Amino acid sequence: MNADPKIILDVRNVSKSYGQSLILNNISTCVKKGDVIAIIGPSGCGKSTFLRMLNGLETPTSGNILFEGTDLTDKKTDLNMIRRKIGMVFQQFNLFAHMTVRQNITLAPVKLNLMTKGEADERADQLLKEVGLPDKADVYPAMLSGGQRQRIAIARALAMNPDVMLFDEPTSALDPEMVGEVLELVRRLAEKGMTMVLVTHEMGFAREVANRVMFFDEKVICEENTPQEIFYNPQSPRLKAFLSKVLK
Amino acid sequence: MPTLAFAQGFPSELKDKIIGVQLGTTGDIMVSDIDEVRIERYNKANDAVQSLMNEKIDAVVIDEQPALTFVQKNTGLKILEREFAKEKYAIALSKKNKALKNQINGILSELKADGTMDRIVQNYIGENKGQFPLKLSLNEKYPNGTLIVATSATFPPYEYYKEAQIVGIDMDLAKTIAHRLGKKLIVEDMEFDAIINAVQSGKADLGIAGMSVTPDRLKNVDFTNSYTASKQVVIVREKTQQTDTAVSFAQRFQNDFITDARWKYLTIGLGHTLLITALSVLIGIALGSIIAIIRVSHDKNASFPFLNLVCRLYLTVIRATPAMIQLLIMYYVIFSTTNVNKILVAVLAFGLNSAAYVAEIIRSGILSVDHGQNEAGRSLGLNFSQTMRFIILPQAFKNVLPALANEFIVLLKETSICGYIGLMDLTRGGDIIRSITYDAFLPLFAVAFIYLILVMFLTAGVSKLEKRLKRNER
Repeated sequence: MNADPKIILDVRNVSKSYGQSLILNNISTCVKKGDVIAIIGPSGCGKSTFLRMLNGLETPTSGNILFEGTDLTDKKTDLNMIRRKIGMVFQQFNLFAHMTVRQNITLAPVKLNLMTKGEADERADQLLKEVGLPDKADVYPAMLSGGQRQRIAIARALAMNPDVMLFDEPTSALDPEMVGEVLELVRRLAEKGMTMVLVTHEMGFAREVANRVMFFDEKVICEENTPQEIFYNPQSPRLKAFLSKVLK
Repeated sequence: MPTLAFAQGFPSELKDKIIGVQLGTTGDIMVSDIDEVRIERYNKANDAVQSLMNEKIDAVVIDEQPALTFVQKNTGLKILEREFAKEKYAIALSKKNKALKNQINGILSELKADGTMDRIVQNYIGENKGQFPLKLSLNEKYPNGTLIVATSATFPPYEYYKEAQIVGIDMDLAKTIAHRLGKKLIVEDMEFDAIINAVQSGKADLGIAGMSVTPDRLKNVDFTNSYTASKQVVIVREKTQQTDTAVSFAQRFQNDFITDARWKYLTIGLGHTLLITALSVLIGIALGSIIAIIRVSHDKNASFPFLNLVCRLYLTVIRATPAMIQLLIMYYVIFSTTNVNKILVAVLAFGLNSAAYVAEIIRSGILSVDHGQNEAGRSLGLNFSQTMRFIILPQAFKNVLPALANEFIVLLKETSICGYIGLMDLTRGGDIIRSITYDAFLPLFAVAFIYLILVMFLTAGVSKLEKRLKRNER
């Protein structure tokens, strides 16, 4: 299997179990450059675990995950180097509580010697403008709303200039009126051509923004297709049952 | 031990009474053999005498000369008129050092022959007191190194503090011996019962502290020929007690702190206390953090199994044994043969002790930081130690600051046991004043007051820091 330069993440026969209980069973798929992939499915189906395996936060029990040709499951691989190129956005934001917004954004680029302090500050200002919070550089996360925090978290991930962004239910912890501002930002990133994988419960958003949708159920990718096919022409009974529950 | 018994039998008036002695002295050995009395052992002769004056005990058995000084300086005390067995003072030295023993025995014979020894004694005892100050031609060089002499300076007129110097018969003798040996004299002040240990372990070359030769002591150290004789006496309270000698507060204050610049014992002691505490805190935080990180990462990802085992063993041993024992082990066992600075020993002992408590405090702090913080750091490509340093530890410290401050307050006060290795910290500074002035009230309260002020400053500093760290909260 020669590496296709367009393939950013290549998942090969990956299984994951905690002790005796199997969470994911023999999954194979790939993420290509420019892909916007939405992962949907009932809760507890392993979608978050799958996403977290893509940047090594979880280790597969068996199988391989290749990022730009490098095997994450290889013990010799320096995961820290890989993670620099993979942005991650969490459901709970996970902003560094003891740092200002600017420090949150500049910490990694500066400490990893990717930018000077000045360059990082400049980049932070630019990113804050992009996420619509140019005046929040010097406040602490606790003083921001949930939606604002998630936008800062996205800016923090973008500061590393990642090749791919992973979103783990980025709007699930938000009050309903704040969901829109975060989704709007993600949509703009997609339009700019950022490669993204996002676990989401926002079906409408998945339908509009994603170019591919993966439906996880019963430990496997039950169905994978364009949003058009997934939402208007579901094949498996399980996807049909799921959609009938979430789409009213 | 017939030589140590009461020469004319046990004084019947002491039957069923409480008798105070200084720990490890001849008096202690004598009274311990008597079944008819209860014994109270004190670290310092002076404390025994003060207890006698406060009617906590009924008599004190002690060497004659210190007894005379105590009775003279305190009203309401007298010495029982009764002859007791003579005993002979000798110099303790290591069993291994036969050459030194021969040398010193030679010097002692010379001193006795040419009258020097008599003059040294008469300068402190009898009618001609002060008439024979020690005169030695000044030695600029010490071709033969140092002579370390262990003593316990609460035993006038043999060894006691005067104007921040340890003086007395034994000290004049020590100076003379050092002079004749061509060695630089270093005097180490410690508890009386620690002297034998110090000599045996090699921390001191000689023990000169009005010490008699006893079978128990001979098991551990060797003795030179005796250099002077003494006997044990019994001090009791006089029946007509007139304790209200109406010394005004101002006079006592003057006597405790101003005369001979005695406040210096407190300031020098305070300096040592602060230095030891500050350095111990640094060791505590550094080592404590490392241990905490090892423990946490082991519990989380099973890394460092061996180191984790070592850390747990360390925590168990340190937390399950008293700090004082650790300090004594550090000084008398671990650093027994090398002559290291006592402050360094104390810093090490207290630092290692504190690290164990700090480790658990910081570990709880690390566990209190949300796991998502770690994941966010690692997801950005920061490695384990960068994530710890920049993200987890700062938040952990903030969360446990009150507990840490508490630990350091405890540590500050715990350093008050430094006196046990003869290190003059604040507490011992106060004790030395007490041993000179026989006043317990002012020195003890002064010391307590200084600790109080220190802790108040520390607390104020911490709450200021806490406020600063709270800036990031809503």
